[in-house]
Amino acid sequence: MSKHAITLIVNGDEYTLNVPANRTLLEALREDVGLTDAKYGCGTGECGACTVLVDGTRAINACLTLAVAMDGKEITTAAGLAMDGVLHPVQQAFADKAAVQCGYCTPGMVLKTISLLAQNANPTEQEIRKGLEGNICRCTGYAKIVDAVQQAARTMNAETPARRAAGGNA
Amino acid sequence: MSTRILPEFDLLAPQSVTEALDLLATYKDRVTVMAGGTDVLVAMKSRFRTETVMILSGISGMDYIEYDATAGLRIGALATVGQLLDHADVKKKYRALWEAADIFATPQLRNTATVVGNLLRASPAGDCSCAIYAIGGKLLLQSKTGRREVDVDDLWLSYGVTARMANELAVELLLPAVGKDTRTAFQRVTRVNEDLAKLNMAVRLDMSGKICKTARVAMGCVGPTPRRLTGIEGQLEGREITEAVLQKAADTVASEISPIDDIRSTAEYRRDVAGVFLRRTIQQACAGAR
Ligand SMILES: Cc1cc2nc3c(=O)[nH]c(=O)nc-3n(C[C@H](O)[C@H](O)[C@H](O)COP(=O)(O)OP(=O)(O)OC[C@H]3O[C@@H](n4cnc5c(N)ncnc54)[C@H](O)[C@@H]3O)c2cc1C
Repeated sequence: MSKHAITLIVNGDEYTLNVPANRTLLEALREDVGLTDAKYGCGTGECGACTVLVDGTRAINACLTLAVAMDGKEITTAAGLAMDGVLHPVQQAFADKAAVQCGYCTPGMVLKTISLLAQNANPTEQEIRKGLEGNICRCTGYAKIVDAVQQAARTMNAETPARRAAGGNA
Repeated sequence: MSTRILPEFDLLAPQSVTEALDLLATYKDRVTVMAGGTDVLVAMKSRFRTETVMILSGISGMDYIEYDATAGLRIGALATVGQLLDHADVKKKYRALWEAADIFATPQLRNTATVVGNLLRASPAGDCSCAIYAIGGKLLLQSKTGRREVDVDDLWLSYGVTARMANELAVELLLPAVGKDTRTAFQRVTRVNEDLAKLNMAVRLDMSGKICKTARVAMGCVGPTPRRLTGIEGQLEGREITEAVLQKAADTVASEISPIDDIRSTAEYRRDVAGVFLRRTIQQACAGAR
């Protein structure tokens, strides 16, 4: 099997890796980079536990992506969201609303919310539910997750000018 | 059912179309082309085996969607389903395709899956495929020795098999320019939205006042490849789409399709609801969506 030298920029840090052809992005993150917040769920793109962001806001399934295909790309995982120990507003909202039970889907849900809010800063409940398709939670029944997304939208809209001034992006 | 672990393979990562065509000329049917990989990787995680995979992600400039009022809509081989949703001309002028993109899989999948990959998967359930079949279009295939266009009408040979030859790379999909009298619509029947279709369909009606001049009607999950329903098209053409015309189309569609029982639905259910959804799709097109 062929091996490939690639560079991934994960949560702002550059990693030079030598990966076999069949390494998925999820495996590269978990095994090579050592970040275990992106989870392995179904392995076939249905559950969203492996969700990561490419180039800031584009959500993808890391389990269905070859690491080599991501050569040179910027990847964000949930572990890269907090700044100087302060949670990202989406993380804070999930904590405040207790939109978490077992927590396995949470990193993916949080990243997916960031991606959703980047496209639509004021989503309706229906838009939130449609936007979160592809991320399955088997504990919560989604009600608190929807609440959390709404709270995050409110905080981020209120904070946007301040965050812009501070140079924050996501 | 599946180990969900990728088997071993060698990977080719060309940086240009020329390089990709050279590799295809050398490897021919020993290489599997991968665009978004949402079909190829899932297949490899179950039974599909291949010696070599060629990824296209290193080739820049193939992810465009461009509309021109005379030339039509050009969709580069690496343009994703998500890009269709964000394109104002697709939303306005190629409504069936936009609607297919809107219900397609999940946001993550839409960010990865390509439109051209959907056609080349040659699945009877392909949603973009169904919409494109109704709209009409041509796939541009390129090899080291030249280029050719394959009409979407001639693309699917049997389940999972297309007219693409092993040394050819699909580079672009071209949809015809459509005027203000062209109306299109798409509908899909699923259990939950993330599922593949139990049934999908799309229509294109070219109107002259109240009269339907020409019609293209496509239906998926009712045969080994997406189907065009030429009998139904004949019933619509040259007529005003009245209640009687709709009723006849709904009543006769079952005789034009050959669905099977599978994991998502039964042949009986598909035959039962095909007429209802056909009627709704035609009405949706007539109601002004284009
Ligand atoms: C969870 C999940 C949900 C899905 N939901 C839907 C859905 O709702 N509707 C639907 O229609 N499909 C769905 N699919 C199927 C799949 O996402 C689509 O068929 C998708 O459009 C395939 O595009 P791709 O770029 O990922 O193709 P790939 O997997 O890269 O390729 C598909 C086929 O096309 C060939 N190919 C691709 N590009 C080229 C090229 N340029 N030249 C030559 N050959 C090429 C490949 O060799 C392969 O045979 C789903 C898949 C998953 C995993």
